[in-house]
Amino acid sequence: MAAGRAARTRLNGLFAVYKPPGVASIRVRDTLETLLLKELNSLEQPTVPQQVRFLPTTVEGNAGKELTLTVTQLPVLAAHPLVKGPEFTHLKIGAGHRLDTKSSGVFVLGVGHGNKLLTDMYNAHLTRVCSGTEPVWGLLCVTPILTRNQGQAYTVRGLFGKATDDFSDTGRLIEKTTFDHITGDKLERILAVIQGTNHKALLMYSNIDLKTQEAYELAVEGLIRPMEKTPPLITAIRCLQFAPPEFQLEIQCVHETQQYLRKIVHEIGLELKSTAVCTQVRRIRDGFFTLDNALPRTHWNLQNIRNSIKDSKIKVKVGLQRSLSHQARSGKRHTDMDQVAESELHSTEGTSASDLTQNEITTC
Amino acid sequence: MLFGFFPGAPKFGHGPFKSQASRDLAGLERGCRKALASAVMAAARLSRGFAKVAKTRSSREVKEAEDSAPVFQYVGERSKRKDRVFVWGFCHAGALGIPSFVKPDASWKKRRRIQPTPYRLDTAEKISSAACGYGFTLISSKTTDITKVWGMGLNKDSQLGFQRSRKDQTKGYEYVLEPSPIPLPLDTPQETRILQVSCGRAHSLILTDKEGVFSMGNNSYGQCGRKVTEGEIYSESHLIHRLQKFKGRVAQIVCGQDHSLFRTERGEVYSCGWGADGQTGLGHYNITSVPTKLGGDIAGVNIVHVATYGDSCLAVSDEGDLFGWGNSEYLQLASITETTQVNVPRHLPFKIGKIKDAACGGTGNAVVNEEGNVFVWGYGILGKGPNLMETATPEMIPPTLFGLSDFSPDTRVSRICCGLSQFAALNNRGELFMWGKNIRGSLGIGRMEDQYFPWRVTIPGEVVDVACGVDHMVTLVKSFI
Repeated sequence: MAAGRAARTRLNGLFAVYKPPGVASIRVRDTLETLLLKELNSLEQPTVPQQVRFLPTTVEGNAGKELTLTVTQLPVLAAHPLVKGPEFTHLKIGAGHRLDTKSSGVFVLGVGHGNKLLTDMYNAHLTRVCSGTEPVWGLLCVTPILTRNQGQAYTVRGLFGKATDDFSDTGRLIEKTTFDHITGDKLERILAVIQGTNHKALLMYSNIDLKTQEAYELAVEGLIRPMEKTPPLITAIRCLQFAPPEFQLEIQCVHETQQYLRKIVHEIGLELKSTAVCTQVRRIRDGFFTLDNALPRTHWNLQNIRNSIKDSKIKVKVGLQRSLSHQARSGKRHTDMDQVAESELHSTEGTSASDLTQNEITTC
Repeated sequence: MLFGFFPGAPKFGHGPFKSQASRDLAGLERGCRKALASAVMAAARLSRGFAKVAKTRSSREVKEAEDSAPVFQYVGERSKRKDRVFVWGFCHAGALGIPSFVKPDASWKKRRRIQPTPYRLDTAEKISSAACGYGFTLISSKTTDITKVWGMGLNKDSQLGFQRSRKDQTKGYEYVLEPSPIPLPLDTPQETRILQVSCGRAHSLILTDKEGVFSMGNNSYGQCGRKVTEGEIYSESHLIHRLQKFKGRVAQIVCGQDHSLFRTERGEVYSCGWGADGQTGLGHYNITSVPTKLGGDIAGVNIVHVATYGDSCLAVSDEGDLFGWGNSEYLQLASITETTQVNVPRHLPFKIGKIKDAACGGTGNAVVNEEGNVFVWGYGILGKGPNLMETATPEMIPPTLFGLSDFSPDTRVSRICCGLSQFAALNNRGELFMWGKNIRGSLGIGRMEDQYFPWRVTIPGEVVDVACGVDHMVTLVKSFI
């Protein structure tokens, strides 16, 4: 009993699983809840408490049968697991950015107190980190760059030559077209235009007065990011593989839906004067969690989830504090105050690191 | 419409239409409607016998239907990319070449004062060179047809040649609203090709490959390269002057506000026109009416590019050195001299690498070095935010503003162009970035405010060339596919 309760109270935080395609994300969340509950309930020792009862019994006494009280130890039936039911019937598991049924990939969930962190992550905006390799055409492929940009990153596979009603290869066929005129550099040109127009939209939606020196500096650093509700915006897009009719893109975006990404594939096909459908949408990164952190189906058990929560705890804390300080900076910026000096920014980062050690002690 | 439709319906005879006709019509209509209704019901009864209930198709049937679907071809395997021209800016003078902006041809269209975003200009031929002057535009094609140059916009000084008016054959048009051919007095009109056009405030220059340079328009300061005639009337003039007295072939022509510069293949620079700011670079401040070679620091130097648009000039040598002369009131040449007019070309010893391209605006200058970085100096909106309004030494604009990012690390600026108070930069991916004062929508960004740092202009194509004017712009674009 104690072991289960202890495990339950310690189960707080964020973790990521790999959602397989073909199953709804709500069902994944329910499956995880059921699995965790089953394991937590199995940690219970099935001992039934005993009670001391004085039961009336007949005893052969001096004048025939007499009624006396005998001490017996009986199990408390009210506390029997078959009567009471399992100890845990409900776990608070919340889902982060959902994935639709046909797509797969990193799916972040929060358990217990971690649900509060989910809202923070939803509003989180991370600063940028660079690394990269050059794309190569033909049969060679490029590993996707997992730059820590804002939002989510997807790998999207497409197929030229077909157009369907729901932009995926399982939809009703609308039209078939030729695609032999499509080359790698034409695709690259279209992707550059998409990235350029989305970059412009990012600046437009960021609600900053473009006539200020601040706006110039933020545009240079690339830190202009939309803080409020915006339509889906693509922050970066590039081609990883191109082997006609198939191609694979890496898309980094904010406020998006998977159907929007399928529509982008369809529109790329139209821009190239052909047609395209999307065969696979796979999220490779959601905020701090990447494919390496996502648990596959065989690892969906209590021990693995607990390890995953522990591993990501520090990352999540540091990242959220940094983004919240960035948001505070932007909040000040929007009220037309002077820019936060570089020293101030470094000082907030310093406090978050020291706060971290204290909080680690309290929560663990 | 109902009559003659159903074989049983009563037909309208040839009898006279009288007052009874209306009653007849109504009766006929009612009768026809009944006939129509009964016919529809009969058809439904018939079709119910033939129609089958739709079944869910098996995946094999779906696959077979998909395989047998027709394949559409929108573009051939070896299709060529199309060349297009996009214009934007101030419309009233007709400089954009779209007549419906000034004289709407449909009742729902309204007169447009400004075109704030790129608008496609339909041209008969592929345009290879374009130039924007002060209220007018010239576009030219490398064709061997007789019509090689078209002009539109202001023609009060015959900067577009003589455009005969259709209403009165003796007069010419003062404003040309659509691209109209300019009649050039060529010796061999079916062999000569036009290489480049250039426009100044009220004059224009046309460079051919075999027949020298043609100049037309205002000549009050000798900018057309011919002797100044007192009291000459420039409007409705047929005079187009040919300049051939250069040592070597002319490779590039540029027009300043009221002066002209010619660069020959040998690397020499000639100039004529107004010189009060020293922009002719000939050592004096008078006007010059005959193209004269420049000396100073560029004597003996192989110049590969000259640039001017206002009253100051820049020249780039083959080794990447920069030379400047002309107006320096806005700190364009303040790094080497305190005087505000420099009438002899002087070397500008900036340590910014080898210069590949240079452009002069009205008050600011910009250069691009070998690595593709843009440097600006001068006065006005220079492109580094509202805080940098004047500087005498070049300041670099961060390359991230021109599309450099983690995903595209080899993006470089390849060309720079200046209008009077705007800057345009082209990067190697064919993207156009504009910044500066947004005079009557000349930046093409869709807004009317000034732009203090480079802003991408979305054009449906890869930009190949750009020509900036005072309040309008022309770009030559290749389509994506």
